[in-house]
Amino acid sequence: MTKKPFWTGRRRDHLAGYLFVAPQLLGSIVFVFVPLGLVFWYSLHEWNVLADTFDFVGAQNYQALADDPKLPGVLAATGLFSVGLVALNLSLALLLAVLLNQRLRGTIFFRTVFFSPVVVSLVAWTIVWGFLLQDNGGINGMLGAIGVDGPNWLRGETTAMVSVVVVQVVKNVGLNMVLFLAALQGVPANLYEAAKVDGAGRWRQFRTITVPLISPTILLTMIITVVGSLQIFAQIAVLTQGGPGTSTTVLVYYLYQQAFQFHHFGYGATLSVLLFAIVLVLTVVQWQLRKKWVFHES
Amino acid sequence: MSLRAKTAVYGLLCVLALPFLFPTWWMVTSSVKPLSEVFAFPPTLFPSSVSFQAYRDVFTLQPFAQQYFNSMYIALAVTVGTLAVSSLAGYAFARIRFPGANVLFLVILTGLLIPSEVTIVPLFQMFHSWGMIDTHWPLILVPILGAPSVLATFIMRQFFLALPGELEEAARMDGLGRFAIFSRIALPLARPALGAVAIFTFLHSWNLYLEPIVFLSTAEKFTLPQALTQFVDAYGGPMWNVQLSAASLTAIPVLVIFVIAQRQFIEGLAHTGLKG
Amino acid sequence: MKIRATALALAGLLALTACGGKTEEPAAAGPVSLRMTVWTSNEAHLKLFNEIAAAYRAEHPNVTEIKFDPIPFESYTTTLTTQIAGGNGPDLAWVLENAAPDFVSSGALVPLDGYDTSDLVPAATKLWQKDGKLVAYPFSTSPFGVFVNNDLLKAAGQPTAAELIAQGKWTWDNVIAAATAVNTKSGKAGLVVRDFDYKGWDNLSTVWAGWGAEAWSADGKTCGFNKPAMVEAMTFLHRAIFTGKALPGPGTTADFFAGDAGMTITQISRASLLKDGKFGWDLVPLPSGPKGNYAVIGQAGLGALKKGRNAKAAAEFLTYFTNAANSAKLAAYFPPPRKSQLNAETLAKTNPLLKPDQLQKVVVDGISTGVVKPSHSGQAEIAQAVRAALDPLWKADANVTAVLDGVCSSINPLLAK
Repeated sequence: MTKKPFWTGRRRDHLAGYLFVAPQLLGSIVFVFVPLGLVFWYSLHEWNVLADTFDFVGAQNYQALADDPKLPGVLAATGLFSVGLVALNLSLALLLAVLLNQRLRGTIFFRTVFFSPVVVSLVAWTIVWGFLLQDNGGINGMLGAIGVDGPNWLRGETTAMVSVVVVQVVKNVGLNMVLFLAALQGVPANLYEAAKVDGAGRWRQFRTITVPLISPTILLTMIITVVGSLQIFAQIAVLTQGGPGTSTTVLVYYLYQQAFQFHHFGYGATLSVLLFAIVLVLTVVQWQLRKKWVFHES
Repeated sequence: MSLRAKTAVYGLLCVLALPFLFPTWWMVTSSVKPLSEVFAFPPTLFPSSVSFQAYRDVFTLQPFAQQYFNSMYIALAVTVGTLAVSSLAGYAFARIRFPGANVLFLVILTGLLIPSEVTIVPLFQMFHSWGMIDTHWPLILVPILGAPSVLATFIMRQFFLALPGELEEAARMDGLGRFAIFSRIALPLARPALGAVAIFTFLHSWNLYLEPIVFLSTAEKFTLPQALTQFVDAYGGPMWNVQLSAASLTAIPVLVIFVIAQRQFIEGLAHTGLKG
Repeated sequence: MKIRATALALAGLLALTACGGKTEEPAAAGPVSLRMTVWTSNEAHLKLFNEIAAAYRAEHPNVTEIKFDPIPFESYTTTLTTQIAGGNGPDLAWVLENAAPDFVSSGALVPLDGYDTSDLVPAATKLWQKDGKLVAYPFSTSPFGVFVNNDLLKAAGQPTAAELIAQGKWTWDNVIAAATAVNTKSGKAGLVVRDFDYKGWDNLSTVWAGWGAEAWSADGKTCGFNKPAMVEAMTFLHRAIFTGKALPGPGTTADFFAGDAGMTITQISRASLLKDGKFGWDLVPLPSGPKGNYAVIGQAGLGALKKGRNAKAAAEFLTYFTNAANSAKLAAYFPPPRKSQLNAETLAKTNPLLKPDQLQKVVVDGISTGVVKPSHSGQAEIAQAVRAALDPLWKADANVTAVLDGVCSSINPLLAK
């Protein structure tokens, strides 16, 4: 019996796999997980940066988290915001992509228009929207022209949330639109022909052909959008400062307030840990669900 | 398509375009308006008088050309670095079966969803201990290796999953090693996905705001979004027309590149790419 | 193997960085370089700072560098705190008024022992003292005044502010009446409390101080929002907004300096915005309230950080940077807190847009008698709580007393901290 060489094809392949992912893995450890470890370490401390105190308090911040009367409201606002953003962003992106996927003149112009907010500076973007959303601003001016008495957008609890979602969607929907466009152009036209022969209407074609075929893109855009929804911060700071009341205080804004504005770094770190736990659960759930509804994912 | 359907589609597109078009239009036109007109109410669609003084001020008040260069080279470095790291990792996660691949991928994926506000303080401490404060290193290293590149890896993985396996098998028969298969077979086919990753990565770096403000403190090292906030009058009040000129200057080139590249980008992606 | 190596690397990094902020060693005597964070990036300001710094370095050869770091105003305190937390705080820092109590009471600033305070106006230094010692210098002390658009007032058939003052009728009742008239006549805003915008409530102290109301007691322990004076002031304001339409309602902004409002309450430094103003304007003191005349000032301080590597050298430079001679130069942009420089002649040189009479009445008198905007340790958290609790007040049918009681019950636990 001849002795097998150590470096079999399989072993080589394993080594190649590890080497290929090494930069990303090491990078994640140094720039994601070590900082997260530090954040967890901070969360066990009472840290006053100005007074230069860093005292171990054990689980005290976690007890404070459980007792925080504001937290349920913050979590509700976060959920509402993320769900609203993902739903509106994906459906609008898909609608725009379908419209622009028609063989029409001028689609390049419209593609550019819908993409342009992506490159506009966030500062300029939020300022102009702050203006448009005023009680006597451009939005209500337009609504008035068609006989609708618009609400005071940023001062009502529901309308403020709607406004922040819409401003964020309009800013970023162009990216998802482009991805959907690409996916739509990859759907073979003969499938539609066949469906037409079978007598399927447009909506049915969309549901039974388009959506399954572009489901990997839907998953991708969904993940990108959830990421975006958790990073929203400047928009809320400029447009509503978390108000009226605390109706638009989402978790990232709350943790920013606690850590950077109120100087409760330890408690801010505790909120970060909570955010991380939520994110972890979401990721695992999304990943498990993908097998169910994403068409031909290996 | 019937005329009626066409009219309906155009009408819908025009209405939907308004909220997208107006802010950009406002930004560009306000940059040439007199200061007192910028916030006039109701907003003026066209400037009452046009002055390009604000554009001259952009370059005299700040080392704007240098800052432009900084943003450009950082974004390019981040893009190139991210393409390298994420195509390697994405390929491995999609095409190579090695023990622990799924767990490792899931572990890396969690990094995708961490907002930068969460890790900014520990990252600042780390870079401080390495003597890298007020350098461009944090703005280059973190996006390439940290959380932002995870999205790129994810896109690349999705793309490579959809690649037909026969080509690789043929190359294997010819005795090519893994890296050769990756670099000679898979990567050239991946151009559309690389294009998508490049656009995402470039824009992300180009628009980065929190990190430059925290890490950089010398005007010559500033990046564009940070420079925008530095145009203020004698009392700290923003000089709106100069800020908006600078904002227009940062937005328009990217938009032009998009117009030129969009057809190839979208169609390239469509033919081979993320269709699944 | 892999796991152990990873754990090791992690532990090493933790040890390296977790205490990054604490292991800063004080530099021995020798070359010193100083860094000061500021929120202006205005060229003229920085040029002046650098000139002062150059003169100082000429006298102190061991100081090799003095660097001024501009940080955007919106994220100033955040960035400053992050730098301090990361162990890379500046040696000197501008401190915003609303962050003052935290910086002062935490002991983060070096006490300015031996600083000659005899020339400083007591009202201006109150906020910047710890245990009776000055810990920061209020380099900018800017009173609030009322800018008036005479053209709009005349068009509404109202007497100008100067005429009202001459008749001794410059009172809140008359101001609101005039503002209502402007709004009715022109559709423009009557009176704008600048930077309030139904969020920055501390700017309303320019109104309620006329009623003798205060956000909390001087010792910071008792909430003042549900005291009779505050209820009266807020009821007046609420009526002015929702019945008289004298102030633009929530969610509506109007820029006085673009000619969209009859009057605005703001700091005098905003006069620079009237450089190319296209209307006749005036600057007058705040109107008198039921409790008579009053003034309110806004401030910014400069302090040396204890945690900096060269705290002593930093404090010395601070003393030089703000001495009488340099203060006179800085007065070109920042109203000084010094008695000797608070006169119309000195200020007129550097504020060409303002008449001596305006400077005397608003600036000089304002700084000597003014109260500062409300501030408290833990200010940001209290400000946020007040903002959220006040939101229900900004509706036409609000129950003022109930809302103000709500404000107190919301901030009482914070005041007690």
